[in-house]
Amino acid sequence: MTMHGPIRPEEARVNVTYGGKNGDLPDPVHFDSTDGDIRGWVTEAVRAGSIPGIDADPNADFRDFVVDRFEANEARPHRLIQMRPKTPFGGHEARVRAALDWALVEYASTLAKLAQ
Amino acid sequence: MMEAGVVIDLNGEPLHWHLPVDRTVVSLPDSRPLWDIVWENREKIAGIAHSHPGGGVPGPSYEDVTTFSAIERALGRRLKWWITSADAAIVAVWTGPGLLTYSSTLCKELEWMKKLRQISNDVHVANATILFAREGERP
Repeated sequence: MTMHGPIRPEEARVNVTYGGKNGDLPDPVHFDSTDGDIRGWVTEAVRAGSIPGIDADPNADFRDFVVDRFEANEARPHRLIQMRPKTPFGGHEARVRAALDWALVEYASTLAKLAQ
Repeated sequence: MMEAGVVIDLNGEPLHWHLPVDRTVVSLPDSRPLWDIVWENREKIAGIAHSHPGGGVPGPSYEDVTTFSAIERALGRRLKWWITSADAAIVAVWTGPGLLTYSSTLCKELEWMKKLRQISNDVHVANATILFAREGERP
């Protein structure tokens, strides 16, 4: 992972948010690195306290964090990889059943109104 | 009915209504804009609520609690996680010791819950991210 020097076109800065703090991995990584590799490097770095601005946490756990990738732009001349927590809700089988029940009740109610 | 979310501030007021384009009747998708709102307002957020379809006492799914945990680890602090159904509401909080050990209790009806249900039930509400500047404002 360690690649010193300026950020090359095929590399990216890795930005991390953890424990209420935000910081960058000291060294860039290859932009096409896998999510799993990035998660592993970030976990290792936060546990060791090697990300400036983020307190060391020997129990740091990046399970359920996602990796976002951004191309360079006018404001930021290098590519960027950010690790942030996932944010979806739902996907519960019981919730699907509840939704179907609710739809059936609504449908029946509409039919009853139309029949009046 | 489409699931909807709302970020609640420390005064118990809605800070941000979360109505992503690709929300469904049973889910809210992963959303970077939601995380950006949470991070930018991290000092004034009490928690996040979302709606479930149907009635009865709602409970968090595995997807829900893994999201609760990830956001709290990123923020470095605990939040409240409300879930509403058509006729009930709960609030879930981390009780530990496990990473995903959250406990839910029935919650009294809070003022913004009525609006959350309205937005969830009104399929004509435009799917968009809407900021409510004033109480009473409708999308």
